[in-house]
Amino acid sequence: MDLRQIWTLYRHEVRSALRDRSIVVMSIVIPLVMYPLLLWAAFAGISFIQGQADRLTARVVVLGLPDAHRSLVDSLVAGEAMALTPWSGTPEEADEAVARGRLDAVLHVEDPVPAGAGVDENFALRLSVSTAHGRSERAGARIEAVVAAYRERWIDQVRPELGLDDPAWAGFAVIREDVATPEESTRFFLAIVVPMLTLIMVALASFYPAIDATAGERERSTWETLMTVAAPRGNVAAAKYMYVATFGAVGGLLNVAALVLSLRWILTPVAGPGEVAAGGLPLATLPLIAVGTFLLGLFVAAGMLVFAVFARNFKEGQSAITPFYMVIILPAIFLQSPDLVLTERLALVPVVNVVLLLRAAIQGSVPLVAGGITLVSMAVTVAFAVMFAQWVMRREDVLLGSAGGGLGRFLRNRFQARRSDA
Amino acid sequence: MNDDFVRTESLTKVFYDESRGEVMAANAVDIACAAGEILGLLGANGAGKTTTLRMLSTVLRPTSGNAWVMGHEVRDAPERVRENLGFYSASTALYPKITPRETLRFFATVNRYPASKVEARVDDLIRRFRLEAYADTRVERLSSGMKQKVSIARTVAHDPPVLIFDEPTVALDVLNAIELRQIIAELRAEGKAILFSTHIMSEAEKLCDRIAILHGGRILATGTLNELREGTGLHYLEDIFVHFAGVRDEAEAEVRNVMPGPHA
Repeated sequence: MDLRQIWTLYRHEVRSALRDRSIVVMSIVIPLVMYPLLLWAAFAGISFIQGQADRLTARVVVLGLPDAHRSLVDSLVAGEAMALTPWSGTPEEADEAVARGRLDAVLHVEDPVPAGAGVDENFALRLSVSTAHGRSERAGARIEAVVAAYRERWIDQVRPELGLDDPAWAGFAVIREDVATPEESTRFFLAIVVPMLTLIMVALASFYPAIDATAGERERSTWETLMTVAAPRGNVAAAKYMYVATFGAVGGLLNVAALVLSLRWILTPVAGPGEVAAGGLPLATLPLIAVGTFLLGLFVAAGMLVFAVFARNFKEGQSAITPFYMVIILPAIFLQSPDLVLTERLALVPVVNVVLLLRAAIQGSVPLVAGGITLVSMAVTVAFAVMFAQWVMRREDVLLGSAGGGLGRFLRNRFQARRSDA
Repeated sequence: MNDDFVRTESLTKVFYDESRGEVMAANAVDIACAAGEILGLLGANGAGKTTTLRMLSTVLRPTSGNAWVMGHEVRDAPERVRENLGFYSASTALYPKITPRETLRFFATVNRYPASKVEARVDDLIRRFRLEAYADTRVERLSSGMKQKVSIARTVAHDPPVLIFDEPTVALDVLNAIELRQIIAELRAEGKAILFSTHIMSEAEKLCDRIAILHGGRILATGTLNELREGTGLHYLEDIFVHFAGVRDEAEAEVRNVMPGPHA
C-alpha cells in the first residue's frame, strides 16, 4: 500500500470538498453554528414573548374580600402589572367574562372555612382563570404568587396567637431541596442530549461527502478520470473512505464543541449564575468522547459509502443512503431513557454501545469492562465495514456504475452467480 | 520486449445484459501501436472502440485475451499500465473545484511522476499549453476551450509514453477540434504511441498513420490509408469503411439465412 499515493488522493478529495459550499455547510457550518443559533433564537423568542406578556396589565376582579384582608388587594396592585376591575355583576357573570377573555382572573372569596379551622377571619380563595387564554394563565400565576406570600405573612402573624412556636411550626414545614449540584444537573442533561446529537451530526456530516465521493464523481464525469490514475483501486477506495470519515468525525466533534460553548455563552446568562455549569463536560471525558465520535465517524463513513457507491447521480445517492441514515439514528432516538445504562451485553451492539459509552463518560461513571468491550467491538465492526466497503468498491460493475439497483441487488447477484458456479 | 508500445492479443470483452443476454462488445481484437505512431480506431457507435480502449486503460478487465502497455500486462499489472498511459475521453472530466495548476500537480503526483520534478513539470505544462493566465482559476470558471487544454495537459501530466484519445473531438467546435488534432500531432512527434478512436472519417484520414476498422466488436481491417485504398480499390475512407462493414453485415446475413436462430 502506497501511503504517499493515498495521502495525495485523500488531500485531493478533501480540497475539492472544502471548496464545495453544500458540503462545507452540511458537514462543518451546521454542526458548528446550529446550537448557538437555535438556542439564541429560542431564548430570544421566549424573552420577546415574555417581555410582551409582562407589559400587559392583568384585569382582575376580587369578589367578597373581608375588610381584615384589604391589604391583600394592596399587595396585588403593588406587586406586578395588575389592575383591579370594579364588578357589578354576579360571580357567575365574572367567570363568564374570564372565559370570554374580557377579564383575566377572578378571585372569589368563598364562605369561611369549616368550623374548627382555628383562626378567626380565615377564608378560602377560588381563583378563576382560563387556560384558553395565555394572558389569563399568566395573571393566575401572578395572583397565586402574591396570595401565597400574603398567606405566609398572615400565618406568621396569627401563629403566636395559636401558641405555635417556631420549632413546632418548623416541624410541619416541608423543605424541598435539590441535592444535585448545578454541575451534576447539567451533566445529566448533557448525557441525554450530547450522544444523540453527536450521532445525528456524524451521520449528517458524512451524508454529503459520501454521495460526493461516489455518485457526485459519476455525475461530474470525473469517476473515470480517477479510475485511470496509476493507483490501485484499494488506494482510491481508502482515500475516499478517509475523506468521508474525516468529515463525519469532524462534524461530530464540532457539534460537541458547539454544544459546550453554546451552553456556556447562551444558557448561563439566561439561567442565571450557578444554574448551568460552565461548559458542562468534565475535561477528563473529552478524550473518550473524541474516541467515541471518531469510531462513529469511521463506521458511518464505511456504511454510507457502501450504499452510495451504486448511485449514478446525487439524487440516487440520497435515496440510497437515506435508509441507512435512518437506521443509524434510530438508536439515538430510542436511547433517550436515562435508566438505560451501558452493560457488557449492550457493549456488543454497534452504535448503541458508543452512544451509551458517551453518556456514561459525560456522567463521569464509565464501567471499565463494558467500556473496553465497546471500544474493541466497535473497532472490529469498523474493520469489517471497511473491508466490506473496499470489496464492494473494487468490483468492476460497481466501478463502472453498471451494477444498478443498489447493495441488495448487487449481493443477490453475487450470491446467485456463486451458486450457479458451484 | 516487442517494439510496439501497445499490443493486444485476441482481446475480448463480454458483458451480460438482462434484456439481451451476453453481449460481445469486443471480439478477439488484435492491434499494435509503436512509438511515434497514431493508430486510429475507426468505427460506428457501438463498434467496440471504447470497450477496447477501456480494457487497455484497465478500467475494464478483459473476459479473455490479453494486452500489453510498455510490456506490462493489463491483467496482472494494471497500476504499471496506468502509470505508462494517459487516457482522455469525453467521459474523463476535470474536477471543477480545483485550479489547473492543482489539477496538473495532483495527476502528476498520483501517477508517480518523480516528486522532486513535479513542480517543474507543472510549470512546463502551463507554459506549453498557454495556461498562464488562468492557471490559478478554478476549472469550473473556465471556458470549454480552456478546459479542453487543461484536460490534455492533465492526460500528459506524468509524461506517459502511451496516450489514448477516445473520441476526443466529439463535443468540440471546429476550431477547438483543429487545435486538439494539432496537439496530438505534436505529441506523436515527441515519440508517443497514440491510440485515437473516432467515427469521423476525415479526422482519421488527416491524423492517423494507420487505421483499424472496427465493426461489431471485431477488427475488420488494419493498415495505412494507402494500404486500405489499395486493398479495396476505393479512394475515400468512408467508402472503404462502408465496404468492410457492409461485407461483414452481408456475411452475417448469409449465416442467418443458412442457420436461423440467435446470433451475437
